[in-house]
Amino acid sequence: MQIELVGKPAGTAARVTLAQGETLTAEVGAMIAMSSQLQVTTASKTKGGKGGVLKGIKRMFSGESFFLNSFTATAQGQEVIVAPSLIGDIVHHQLTGGTLVVQGSSWLASGVDIDIDTTFQGLVAGMFSGEGLFWVKCSGTGDLLLNSFGAIYTIDVKDGYTVDSGHIVAFEDTLEMKVGKASKSLVGSILGGEGLVCKFTGQGKLYCQTHNPPSFGQSLGQNLKPRS
Amino acid sequence: MTLNFEIEQRPDFAILVAKLSKDQKIQAEPSAMASMDPHIKMKTGMKGGLLKSVGRALGGESFFVNTFTAEGAPGEVVFAPGPMGDMQHYHIEESGPSLCLQRGSYVANTEGVEVTGKWDGVKGFFSGEGMVLLKATGSGDIFFNTFGALIDLDVTGDYYVDTGYIVAFEDTLSYQITTVPGLGIGQKLKTFFLGGEGLVCKFSGQGKLWIQTRCVKPFINWVHPFRPHKKSSS
Amino acid sequence: MNVEIKHRPAFATVFVTLAPGESIIAESDAMASMSSNVGMRTRFNGGFFPAILKKLFGNESLFINEFFCESGESAQVVLTQPTPGDIEQIDLAGESLFFQPGAYVASTPGVKVSMAWAGLASWFGGEGLFRLRVHGKGSVWFGGYGGVYQRPIKGEYIVDTGHLIAYDPSLTLSIGLSGGLFSSFFGGEGFISRVKGEGKVYMQSRSMDGLASWTNGHLY
Repeated sequence: MQIELVGKPAGTAARVTLAQGETLTAEVGAMIAMSSQLQVTTASKTKGGKGGVLKGIKRMFSGESFFLNSFTATAQGQEVIVAPSLIGDIVHHQLTGGTLVVQGSSWLASGVDIDIDTTFQGLVAGMFSGEGLFWVKCSGTGDLLLNSFGAIYTIDVKDGYTVDSGHIVAFEDTLEMKVGKASKSLVGSILGGEGLVCKFTGQGKLYCQTHNPPSFGQSLGQNLKPRS
Repeated sequence: MTLNFEIEQRPDFAILVAKLSKDQKIQAEPSAMASMDPHIKMKTGMKGGLLKSVGRALGGESFFVNTFTAEGAPGEVVFAPGPMGDMQHYHIEESGPSLCLQRGSYVANTEGVEVTGKWDGVKGFFSGEGMVLLKATGSGDIFFNTFGALIDLDVTGDYYVDTGYIVAFEDTLSYQITTVPGLGIGQKLKTFFLGGEGLVCKFSGQGKLWIQTRCVKPFINWVHPFRPHKKSSS
Repeated sequence: MNVEIKHRPAFATVFVTLAPGESIIAESDAMASMSSNVGMRTRFNGGFFPAILKKLFGNESLFINEFFCESGESAQVVLTQPTPGDIEQIDLAGESLFFQPGAYVASTPGVKVSMAWAGLASWFGGEGLFRLRVHGKGSVWFGGYGGVYQRPIKGEYIVDTGHLIAYDPSLTLSIGLSGGLFSSFFGGEGFISRVKGEGKVYMQSRSMDGLASWTNGHLY
């Protein structure tokens, strides 16, 4: 498939041109526009599904579950344009074996040869509004599209690195991650509202985003109509 | 009267800097004014006849516009829309196509352009999706904004666009609301907003179509948990 | 200290490299990521205005932290803001600048950051009860929601509340209505700030109020 990233850096969308029979799998709701002859199906991907984790995922998306749309081309050159819900960028990552651990809301779409495992342990409770921070393990070969709130910057971790939990997009599984409260020396206003940071050790690539969705959500949320 | 203007801070935070000549007027979306010279006078009015038939389902807003006049001397008004994104200028002539635009994308127009919510064919869009389509005719300039980036498409053949991402299109295009089986999750899951139903607009013919790369539905689903809880009356 | 503002203007982010012993002062929510040899300590917790007053009159609380390099090797701190937008750097040589509290991102240790009372008129007009004053010798980084644009004022200029981020202390602010009584409220503009005098005013090209109205218009 051919992927063109348009609308950078803040309204990035991925314009995907498919070969005949090729499939792109994306989050439900991500499609902006498509050629009329594409074949579309919906499935819920729960590889090795544990009921408990599925409930957590449902909560994460405030009522929407981890349902996926698959777009298959019936002829060469048909296209589909996909985009995330938040303002920000998209990174096109080529997986060539190895595993990338992706923050749940950062996964946008992938080729059908990429295995998406949503049951990876690491559901951390205590993030904003009772939603857990969950991870999706992606492995295999092919194209992976990740989205970010903000711009994406890469850190090649060698001697350890600390990231505020709202700023993680994805990391190579050669890295070890520990989630905990921010350093006790930080008094008063807490980082990103929850004070959770992720400390990485080991060696590997870490994708971070420059902006923090819960921080932005909280700034905006207090000015919105209350929910019933 | 032509408008002297600049669209600055494209493509992410586009603002319209309107440089009005003495006594020139411009009409704009309420609350779009960000800053202006002190002698610019603002007046509010209603336009478009959208009111009574439009219920809460259609965004709940009546089509008020503000008119800004540079009284007695040339002056500047800077307009900023609510969401982050781009802005596009379109020039309308009586002899050319009219412009259909999504209500939430309207920014401003010069005198000589008529913008209305009541026109033939508007019913096709009342699909419960909360999208209201306006039509601009006449002669002059009109400005519309996007949520996210602006993609300019020259349609020649059939193309499906999710209705939430439609910004504007020339009325030489024909369109039809339809569903794509398999696109949404339908009745499988209750979503907070009317999302995931697979409603698309099929465009055919020839003409310009502008779409945006973000839309309000998924954004609202995302922001929902951050809303304050309603205080129960004691 | 090496400071680079990257990803301008949509997601401006300050990448700071600190040499051993060096530090940078920043709003405590500003840390996105940092190398493991960075230490933090609280510098300011809003001063003598009690926290309860701040809670009542709006989210004006300001917590500032000092991030310092605590090892013999250089350290990195990545600083950002809660909203997408641009960040500007201003180098002060003893003079002052007033900010809306949310606009402050970071500064070098030689710059003093303090909260000042902005007056009831300012709060009534939606600009908040407090404003931030920075002065001294060094650099200050500030930003907003959207791009930052400026106007040199000689006389008067009108700024919609929510779009104002910073201004020279030589300017005075007064609150007014955007139009007649009907127009101001049905016309959606509400209150505006009249900026008078001679000096520079900095504005942001989006506002949280504007985004909230747009969002509320679509909410049930």
